[in-house]
Amino acid sequence: MFVTRFNNRLRTGIIIMILLMIINLVNILFNSPLVPIQQWAQKIFYYHVPCAWVAFLSFFIVLIAGIMFLKTKNYKYDRLGLAAAELGTFFTVLVLITGPIWASAIWGKAWTWEPRLTTTFVLFLIYSGYFMLREFGGAPERVARYAAILGIIAFIDVPIIFISVRFWSPEVQSHPQVEMALQPTGIMTTFFFSLFTFTMLYFLMLWIRTGILSLKVKNQ
Amino acid sequence: MFLRLLKKDLLVEFRSREVSASMLTFGLAVIMIFSFSINISPDLFRRFAPGLYWIMVLFIAVLGLHRMFSHEKEFDTFSMIISAPVERGLIFLAKWVSGVLFLTVAEILITLPFLLFLQVGIPEQWVILIVIILLGNIGIMAIGSLVSGLAMRAKMSEVLLPILLFPLVSPQIIATVQATTAVFDGKPLASWQLWLNLMITFALVFGLAGYLFFEHITEE
Repeated sequence: MFVTRFNNRLRTGIIIMILLMIINLVNILFNSPLVPIQQWAQKIFYYHVPCAWVAFLSFFIVLIAGIMFLKTKNYKYDRLGLAAAELGTFFTVLVLITGPIWASAIWGKAWTWEPRLTTTFVLFLIYSGYFMLREFGGAPERVARYAAILGIIAFIDVPIIFISVRFWSPEVQSHPQVEMALQPTGIMTTFFFSLFTFTMLYFLMLWIRTGILSLKVKNQ
Repeated sequence: MFLRLLKKDLLVEFRSREVSASMLTFGLAVIMIFSFSINISPDLFRRFAPGLYWIMVLFIAVLGLHRMFSHEKEFDTFSMIISAPVERGLIFLAKWVSGVLFLTVAEILITLPFLLFLQVGIPEQWVILIVIILLGNIGIMAIGSLVSGLAMRAKMSEVLLPILLFPLVSPQIIATVQATTAVFDGKPLASWQLWLNLMITFALVFGLAGYLFFEHITEE
């Protein structure tokens, strides 16, 4: 019963998502002005920034799911936390891949220890540990609690990491995102459409992943 | 009750000397490796010394934390403590304080060989240096005790502990290294006040987090 209902909605969701992604890509390639100096290199930002936004949103959901799980002990929240952590890490990897592609074209080097880059990298490391804890933590009931706690601690740590790295290397080049408001107006519409598309993609993926996780529980 | 828990941790350590002895010998071994692997003039070495010092402290802290908690695991004493009507947060506080004490004891014996064997010399503001080292210990052990609680009963806990701890403790390491460097260079407090504040914030945040979350960690 659940499976068929899941399937039907899933099909509609995926079709809409594919259409949105195609429109987004066409929009980015042909419907937005080239930014002076950066030219085509700037186009990756329509993917890079939404990925980063979605990753942080995802880690925020891990935090909320963690708090809710510790409060209610409802495994629904544990599955939500796991799914969000997986997706968050996935999008973090995308951010860490797309960032250096842009940076090597514009900065001339793929990586600097700039606050946002460093924080993203540290987050990636923390969540790699999170999955190891999930994998090797022992009894499932205990692992769920520990993962929830780690998700909360990780989120508390993010602003502290960001502040410390920011003052640690104040001389490095600022991240270009700040200057986006100064760019030609045409890019903002495309950018927000991309942001919207990625957010929809994220929620679709989250929905599918939590669905699969709860199906796994039912089959056991 | 807190004092009793602390007394218990200290007594166990006093009788076996397991934690401090392993931290001490390991620290000396690290110093030896440093001097073999970094073969540069003392002047140049001085600039790396604060970073190397805190790498060493972090390593021996991980070793000590692992010994402290695996001791509880081996004899299953942890389940006995939590079967007693003790507030769980106090267990964390006792672990935190005893951890800071063990680390400090190990450092008292290691810091001088570090400064002398590696020809760093004792900085003029050595009193301030001691305060910074103590603050560093407090912060490292706050998050360390919390993460040890999470990793303790997992498989491969000895690997899981540093994997989880290192990224989480990174802002503390940045702050302590910066502050230590400033003191080595004899800079006035105003120039590294920020790092002092960061260390205090870190200790407070994760001390509080540990106190609050230990209830969920020890739950059976």
